Amino acid sequence: MSDDSTETIAVLNMTSVVGIVVCFVIAAGALFALPTLESRGIGFETAFWIVSAAELVTALGIIYFVLNLHEERG
Amino acid sequence: MLIGTFYFIAKGWGVTDKEAREYYAITILVPGIASAAYLSMFFGIGLTEVEVVGRGTLDIYYARYADWLFTTPLLLLDLALLAKVDRVTIGTLIGVDALMIVTGLIGALSQTMLARYTWWLVSTIAFIFVLYYLLTSLRSAAKQRSEEVQSTFNTLTVLVAVLWTAYPILWIIGTEGAGVVGLGVETLGFMILDVTAKVGFGFVLLRSRAILGDTEAPEPSAGEASAAD
Repeated sequence: MSDDSTETIAVLNMTSVVGIVVCFVIAAGALFALPTLESRGIGFETAFWIVSAAELVTALGIIYFVLNLHEERG
Repeated sequence: MLIGTFYFIAKGWGVTDKEAREYYAITILVPGIASAAYLSMFFGIGLTEVEVVGRGTLDIYYARYADWLFTTPLLLLDLALLAKVDRVTIGTLIGVDALMIVTGLIGALSQTMLARYTWWLVSTIAFIFVLYYLLTSLRSAAKQRSEEVQSTFNTLTVLVAVLWTAYPILWIIGTEGAGVVGLGVETLGFMILDVTAKVGFGFVLLRSRAILGDTEAPEPSAGEASAAD
């Protein structure tokens, strides 16, 4: 006989889903952002590193959200 | 790349398995961002020029590096999830991977050949560490899992080891390095490598039953079901 009180189910964490989508949109947008940053007076190298940082940070964000994509509910 | 993205989306639509969802989320994003990077290079946005002493002006496709900063950690995460390693190992692996790409980026923007080759060397050493982690920590963790997982993990690790090794070789003989091959060959080479390392990787991973969670047994095929009878 199973003990129902100890059973947990994995539920999709909507915050993580939204986080993944937002990170993806930022990462995709950043690939096209360099000319805009330069037109605002930012030098190429600075703009380039801003874009690169955006890619890395969004990748790390996605890793975090994927690792927390489900939450256990009892 | 875009076809690969849509194929993975279509294949993953309606998947309910907890672990499979994670693999699909990661694997769809990889060619998705690579498609955006290629689009930006196609429109001339992802391209810049760097003045290099003794070599003149070099065309640098910076969007390629930005793409790698996003996609390589996610590809490694797929392997880490397959091997079921702890978060510290995942963090270390991705940290070394980020170092590999960032030092490659510095090399691409350097204005003397000595600096470019030095940063290439640093990046390649970081890459060797990534390979070392894959072939030691992750491989031994994968050995604790089912035969299906081990087989998929080994296939993907070989794919990564071979294809990722070709990147620094192509870089050093390409226009950004020694200039042995022209821009056309280099661009085509990187394109083939990118498609194989991202879409090919995803194709192998998502076709495998290894992505299904331990708690949810896969449906037996018709042949297996009748054989059981």
